[in-house]
Amino acid sequence: MTAKKLGLKQRYAHMTRGLDWETTYQPMDKVFPYDQFEGIKIKDWSAWEDPFRLTMDAYWKFQAEKERKLYAVLDAFAQNNGQASVSDGRYINTLKLFLTGVSPLEYQAHRGFAFTGRHLRGAGPRVAAQMQSLDELRHVQTQIHTISQYNKYFDGLSEFPHMHDRVWYLSVPKSFFDDARAAGPFEFMIAIGFAFEYVLTNLLFVPFMSGAAYNGDMSTVTFGFSAQSDESRHMTLGIEVIKFLLEQHPDNLPIVQKWVDKWFWRGFRVLGLVAMMMDYMLPKKVMSWKEAWEIYFTEGGGSLFQDLARYGIKVPKYADVATEAAEHISHQNWAVFYQYTHAAGFHTWMPDREHLDWLSEKYPNTFDKYYRPRWEMWAQAEKEGKRFYNMALPQLCQVCQIPMAYTEPGDPTTICFRETQFKGETYHFCSDGCKDIFDDEPEKYAQSWLPVHQIFQGNCGGPTVPDVLNWYRMNNGADNMDYAGSPDEKLWNEWHAKAAEAAG
Amino acid sequence: MSAHQLTIEPLGDTIEVEEGQTILDACLRAGVYLPHACGHGLCGTCKTQVTDGEIDHGAASNFALMDFEREDGFVLACTATLVSDVTIEADVEDDPDARRINVRDFVGTVVGLEDLTHDVKGVLLALEDGPIDFQAGQYVNLVLPGVEGSRAFSIANAPSDGLHVELQIRRVPDGAGTGYIHEKLKLGERLAISGPYGRFLVRKSRGGPLLFLAGGTGVSSPRAMILDLLEEGYAEPITLVHGVRAQADLYGRDEFEALARAHANFRYVPALSQEPEASDWQGERGFVHDVAKRVHGGMFAGNTAYLCGPPPMIEACIATLMQGRLFEKHIFTERFLTAKDCAEKPKSPVFKRL
Repeated sequence: MTAKKLGLKQRYAHMTRGLDWETTYQPMDKVFPYDQFEGIKIKDWSAWEDPFRLTMDAYWKFQAEKERKLYAVLDAFAQNNGQASVSDGRYINTLKLFLTGVSPLEYQAHRGFAFTGRHLRGAGPRVAAQMQSLDELRHVQTQIHTISQYNKYFDGLSEFPHMHDRVWYLSVPKSFFDDARAAGPFEFMIAIGFAFEYVLTNLLFVPFMSGAAYNGDMSTVTFGFSAQSDESRHMTLGIEVIKFLLEQHPDNLPIVQKWVDKWFWRGFRVLGLVAMMMDYMLPKKVMSWKEAWEIYFTEGGGSLFQDLARYGIKVPKYADVATEAAEHISHQNWAVFYQYTHAAGFHTWMPDREHLDWLSEKYPNTFDKYYRPRWEMWAQAEKEGKRFYNMALPQLCQVCQIPMAYTEPGDPTTICFRETQFKGETYHFCSDGCKDIFDDEPEKYAQSWLPVHQIFQGNCGGPTVPDVLNWYRMNNGADNMDYAGSPDEKLWNEWHAKAAEAAG
Repeated sequence: MSAHQLTIEPLGDTIEVEEGQTILDACLRAGVYLPHACGHGLCGTCKTQVTDGEIDHGAASNFALMDFEREDGFVLACTATLVSDVTIEADVEDDPDARRINVRDFVGTVVGLEDLTHDVKGVLLALEDGPIDFQAGQYVNLVLPGVEGSRAFSIANAPSDGLHVELQIRRVPDGAGTGYIHEKLKLGERLAISGPYGRFLVRKSRGGPLLFLAGGTGVSSPRAMILDLLEEGYAEPITLVHGVRAQADLYGRDEFEALARAHANFRYVPALSQEPEASDWQGERGFVHDVAKRVHGGMFAGNTAYLCGPPPMIEACIATLMQGRLFEKHIFTERFLTAKDCAEKPKSPVFKRL
């Protein structure tokens, strides 16, 4: 009699048996010292169902073929001078933002998942976190390789890791991940695995990759496909984590809800950079930020939170505020970068008439009323040789670290300020969302490394703008300032003059 | 339009797939859950092995489905369409309690017709080519004269009597099929039946206390299941909460009360949601989920629950059970969908079956 063929699940269980052995040289609580202090209660680690059932052997085989395909495309792109065929020289600025602001987060995710995988005592989540850790390392490497082709020709890319650690606006994504990695392993899993990789990923990754596709950047598109085939595993892990925690113990619900609220808001603030990229930086637009928010958060997130309601999870606190702000954040962020273009690692510009009309059409409730007049005023000032620069250092929010430029919910003409007292000091916030996060863990956020404070404290190379730019390794006059008059623009125009000449 | 057959292993189910319809779509519509996420060939979550037949990969990404996988017969279910009849080996749960029973065609003679309430008709069919082998909870398809297509009805009797099929049919306003049954069907009439269908069945191998939550004629399947369990001597606690609007809508009460008297482990809780306050009703009032919560003290952990009834009732019960610590693994549902319920709400991937 032949044995009954094992199902896929049984086969996997057989291959991975015993990975969660009980330690004997040291007690389990000493080997896994961090999986209890957050208050999360796990009754049965074996209830974790590994949704991937991927062995390391298979993992290497898959990733190796993905790499071969991606690098073949990158080689072809380089040989064909693909960098000259994108929609416009301005497009490269989205890559600068991506490489300095997002790629280092992939590396942070790599380290965060490696740590988390080490410190959860269940074998299922450990294996999943380990694979995700490797994926994230692959992502940062392939992103760097993909974009390195552009670094041969364009400014603002060469010092990306150094900039990520120092530049004022890059402290926004950096502090987001520092916050997650400085939390316990369960909070990290909810913050990055669930909130970031599941709830918000479509608002980060998709806009950049579609933006690349619309603007003729086939190398970045290919990188995107290569990564997206890993992302499904990451999204599944995020869902699995939240289900597991909620099913394990009723005491976990309020803790998880608090983390969902916090990381939704933290993520939403970081995504303001993407909003600005979509509405202002892509020469050929994919969709507006507001449209993306409606599709990916209001609709996609709506069905997610409808299902999670069965567990008692509520829609994240301040989701309504974020939805209202979808009318404003891209404009308010672009206004900040325009004013501080001298300290930005990418180029800025005022939208031309066609672009203004597109914005008017996409934001019929707000753009003509609040933003178009300001842009037209600034464009007029440029024409008159009086381009506006803001030379005062901005006040930053203690939690999200964004300059305090956002407006009150429901009142787009009043800047939103919140403050709180802690140990005799006053701390400032851009929103109720950020203030709540501080008030819950003031000891943590009182220690934040705030770029403007650091400049004033003399820790950033000196008191003047050139001193600070030098400390940022920002090449003054090349990496920063408006696109008009930049070396990037000059190069782009030369390429296209040559191409036009060749075409006769 | 040519259609192909898709056989889904290890279930052994065979379904029709339309020209251009993807494997994923066909499986989901046939009630077979396959893991999936992006829905357009990019993520690879729905990777499935084809063991026989020809397919077209459609827009499957080269990164989500590698060349070596294509050579090994893997496809992405969300983009693959059939070029011939196909067999797939899907990543579906082995279910030790589900038997593989081939669907057969029968002719049944109407030997009983009874008004159970003002809008529910009891129909008893005697099978000519009998007996039908089925598991309690499964349903049959009935072909009615002058009515296009067939209509699905749960079998209300226990499988021990395979020579009869007992159905409890509520009249759907303006429904052609149920209209025929209520107005025209006569004793002695012969009807074409096929079955058994469906995977709503008691997971007996799990043991433990059982909770049946039924709304209206959704009690048919639970009735078959409970009769079957009690006949077999199932000793763990069994609770049935049967919700209807008012006393005039309640049927089967005498039988269930008699069963409860005869079996100490069976508890019967009829629940009325719209019974006039001033009536003589002494029993539970409220919706099924509220009553279930009350009689269980809000805690359901340790039970296995079987839910059968209209979608809003199922949805409310799922939320109540989950907040009472009973999760997807221990909840089984049979939703009644009428044609107008088919416009489904968007689903997130949080739950597979619920």
